[in-house]
Amino acid sequence: MNIRTICVAILVCAMAVASTGCKRWFGKKSSTSGLPPSDMVSGPGLLGEGSTLPDRGAFDDKSLVAGQFESVRFAYDSAQVDDTERAKVEAVAEFLKGNASSMVTLEGHCDERGSNEYNMSLGERRALSVRAYLMSLGIDGARVQTKSLGEEQPKDQGHDEAAWSVNRRVEFVVVK
Amino acid sequence: MKTTGRPLFSRTAFPHRFRRFLPGLALLTLLALPITAQEIVVSKDGGAKISLDLSGISAPGSAGALFRQTLESDLRRSGWFSLSRPASYAVTGTCNDRGGSLSAQCQVASLSQSQVVMNKTYSDTAANVRRMAHKAADDIIMAIKGFRGICSGRIVMVGNRTGNKEVYLCDFDGGNLRQITADKSISLSPYWSASGTHVAYTSFRRGYPDIYLIDLRSGARNCIANYPGINMAGGLSPRGNEALMILSKDGNPEVYLKDLASGRLNRLTHTPRAGEASPVWSPDGSQIAYVSDLAGPGSPQVYVMNRSGNGRRLTARGRENVAPDWGANGWITFCSRRGGRYGIYIIHPSTLEERQISPDDTHYEDPAWASDGRHIVCTRQDGRSSRIYMLDTMGDPPVCLTPNDGNWFSPAWSAQ
Repeated sequence: MNIRTICVAILVCAMAVASTGCKRWFGKKSSTSGLPPSDMVSGPGLLGEGSTLPDRGAFDDKSLVAGQFESVRFAYDSAQVDDTERAKVEAVAEFLKGNASSMVTLEGHCDERGSNEYNMSLGERRALSVRAYLMSLGIDGARVQTKSLGEEQPKDQGHDEAAWSVNRRVEFVVVK
Repeated sequence: MKTTGRPLFSRTAFPHRFRRFLPGLALLTLLALPITAQEIVVSKDGGAKISLDLSGISAPGSAGALFRQTLESDLRRSGWFSLSRPASYAVTGTCNDRGGSLSAQCQVASLSQSQVVMNKTYSDTAANVRRMAHKAADDIIMAIKGFRGICSGRIVMVGNRTGNKEVYLCDFDGGNLRQITADKSISLSPYWSASGTHVAYTSFRRGYPDIYLIDLRSGARNCIANYPGINMAGGLSPRGNEALMILSKDGNPEVYLKDLASGRLNRLTHTPRAGEASPVWSPDGSQIAYVSDLAGPGSPQVYVMNRSGNGRRLTARGRENVAPDWGANGWITFCSRRGGRYGIYIIHPSTLEERQISPDDTHYEDPAWASDGRHIVCTRQDGRSSRIYMLDTMGDPPVCLTPNDGNWFSPAWSAQ
């Protein structure tokens, strides 16, 4: 009788474990169906973090010079600084090295396609890419701030690829 | 003829509705579902409607006429009714203006059951006649359909008719349009609190994109995020105490959760190679839908995660899937670019069943659910101008809600 009770208890436990196991397994399966594992958002820090941005205070109440340097252009939906655009960033790095009191605001822009909110993030990532390249050239990150304008301030008001390619850009605003 | 269509309150709502008014197609669709791609584009007729007779409303004077006209328009726009005879229900009542003070009485009778199902009185100032009619329309919907209507709800959106992007409010039918910010800069992405008392939005009023919270009752405005980099507003939690936001202060745009009372920040995503956008809550506040381009550069997709930040990709079709909004019915609406066009879709996060809602090849973007689980507000590109439209998941034609001057963006529907 005692043994039977124990056997029943073990059976009940096994069934409980099996049923919750199944539920979890099926739940997981349905939630990821058909998607490669690389699409899962993983935990923190696997690829290294970006560099913390400087406080805005240091950039306020200074004189601003826009248009001194040529804007960096980007491919559609890309935040990568192409090889052909690197010289533009390098020119700014040289300037900052020779003008120790100057800083720079990187204004990231997008073309009009896509959601405004996604374009705000994309514009910021374009500015962050240029900032990372400036830092790799030896510029202190504390001298470089980013500001995304998303698709809100197109340089060319047109609605074709010619206009869009001009509008996908990072502008340099020198802060003195 | 009794209650017919139902909003999408549950996962089983679709099969039920299909069976009722498209029996042949529904059977084929149901059979095909597990095998083919789960995208169904159904040409619909707005669902079978309940007939109402409004001829028994006596409303003299200009305020009375406006009451009657608004009530009639509301009941039509709700999608549930046809105003025709012979009717299933008769709405009778009065609306009288006594020196600028309105009093109305509304009675709804079921003609098939010879039974009064609603009898209510209303009073307000003549200036609020439309609001009174919206209230009466919602009560009539509740009496006949058994759930809250959306006629008393409001829509918050961005408009640029002044030359700057400012935040505006209007009623559910586009009436009573009023500007609520005068920042004279760029305002973006307004989100409602569940209580309908607050709006969070992004403004460049101090030169940078920062997040503000407006108390609509007092007009007070507080900056709730002005960190270095971008601060983009996201959804406010159902209890109103937490705000989702996109911040780049740590070096990359990521989803954060801010406790508004303590100011404590909780970072939810860690995607150094990707950018996030548009975080919104599930109706119960346990999950968050958001956009990330983690799957590949230039391919933003909708993801879902819990509050501890473990995300999974939700959308599979389409190169760009953005701007999610999670409805009280459990479905997530989003904007997808397919065949070079932006359209409005809905997807169920458990079954991954997907449907196209936008009815034609015009660009539709930035959808948000109404609380009835049936209607969606979004933008539509008409030529070069952007306007706000109400779409119907049950097939009534799109209705434009905004005036012709200026462009209108980022609509969101209040739950109240």
